[in-house]
Amino acid sequence: MMLVPYFLLTLKSLGYLSGLGANPVETIIHETGLWGLRFLMLTLLLTPIAYYSKIPSINKLGKPVGLMAFFYLLNHFLTYAMIDQAGDLGVIIVDIIETPYLIVGWGGFLCLLGVASVSFKRLENWFNQNRSTISGLVYTATVLGVWHFYWQAKVIEIESLIYSIMVTVLIVWRFKISTNRSS
Amino acid sequence: MLESIYESDKLDFIDMKIKETKIKIPSYEITSESAYLNRRKLIQSVGLLSLGVGISEPGFGQDQSVQTLQSIKNEKYSTSETPNSYSDITTYNNFYEFGMQKSDPYMNSGMFEPKPWSVEVSGEANITGAFDIEDLIDFNKLEERIYRLRCVEAWSMVVPWVGIPLSAILKKFEPLSSAKYVSFDTVYRPDQMPGQKRRILRWPYTEGLTIQEAMHPLTFMAVGIYGKELLNQNGAPMRLVIPWKYGFKSIKSINKIRFQERQPKTSWNISAPQEYGFYANVNPSVDHPRWSQARERRIGTGFFGAKQPTTLFNGYADEVADLYRGLNLRKYY
Repeated sequence: MMLVPYFLLTLKSLGYLSGLGANPVETIIHETGLWGLRFLMLTLLLTPIAYYSKIPSINKLGKPVGLMAFFYLLNHFLTYAMIDQAGDLGVIIVDIIETPYLIVGWGGFLCLLGVASVSFKRLENWFNQNRSTISGLVYTATVLGVWHFYWQAKVIEIESLIYSIMVTVLIVWRFKISTNRSS
Repeated sequence: MLESIYESDKLDFIDMKIKETKIKIPSYEITSESAYLNRRKLIQSVGLLSLGVGISEPGFGQDQSVQTLQSIKNEKYSTSETPNSYSDITTYNNFYEFGMQKSDPYMNSGMFEPKPWSVEVSGEANITGAFDIEDLIDFNKLEERIYRLRCVEAWSMVVPWVGIPLSAILKKFEPLSSAKYVSFDTVYRPDQMPGQKRRILRWPYTEGLTIQEAMHPLTFMAVGIYGKELLNQNGAPMRLVIPWKYGFKSIKSINKIRFQERQPKTSWNISAPQEYGFYANVNPSVDHPRWSQARERRIGTGFFGAKQPTTLFNGYADEVADLYRGLNLRKYY
């Protein structure tokens, strides 16, 4: 189900559903980035949903939804690096340094890359023992992702505003829960 | 949908009747045979659509019957680069009055009414007042000019505009020596321009030029693209084209012109002064604070088309560099 936007995008790139428009590279970068961020937001929303619905098994969805977010953002980054910048490493480095919102986005992507690389079956124990590090990285990645999204637009877009508010509320909630637990 | 099309046909008819009593029908307002046939075709295609046959054409779903325009190509000011397709030019636009997505102007501009059109001229000139578009533009003297267009977002197009030099319009008003600047407004019609319901920019959208820039032979008032009247999403019925400046300077759907002594406050400059200057000349070595301006993506080069280097004044340095002699382009971006 989470792959539906991906399949729609694939169909569009094959010319169906009126195609990708006049700037196909931009369309793919925007769509994959947006869906990656949406799934990342969903990952963070799972904890309060499980908490208030008292169904702790919802928390188990964290890993697949998070990996789905990573899958979209990997596509997002690869389309930027390999297509938009034609895979030229020197050009990519200069572009990232010159473009503040790319530094932020790249930072978020590295956080997720770290999380995704320890999510394999063989590292399951390590993954389970370091839950707080993992969720810290996911939170950091989401904050950086929202910042990156907010910063690339010419004017404030409603969607980035909604995500900024959501992320702030989630972080405050998270801190409140953990201080309640420890006291 | 069918009903609304018939209704607008009826409205056109009433419109013409009112004009008849005034005995004044500008020739381009009379529905030509080809436009009439186009409209029939649209109605037919709506019929096809209901049978499940999809037809995608720019302007489809919007009753924008446009007239063809006669023009003479200005070779001197035309690039030999291949123009973008009509479909790219009419579906990929920044026109925040109709929404912030590139496809929004194409999707949301159907209810905009560019006819009839009048322009209010005021300020430091001998002749001021309200004028019909045909008083401003001599439709028998239209030129075609193929210009490069560079957006501040680092993409570009090549567009075959139809119009007349702005100087030919401005001279009619006999600007005074105190007219150091000219400012322009886009029409404010929130009922027809849904993007204006949100204050994402200061409405009405305002742009401006120095009088030297405004009188420069490259500065163009366009009324058409590809030999057809402008579609709403491209700034119907008249818009500026200043090919050596970033696209946001080329203000669309103009209904006010003011001659001023002081530099006008412009919409993007008010919105983010450190990012969008008054001059906004295309310059690969002066980056936008948040992204590089060194290269651009030419629309229409496809998925694997490489970005190309941006050139100073968008390649029009030979014509316009003299305007900025001695001006620090880094400070006056």
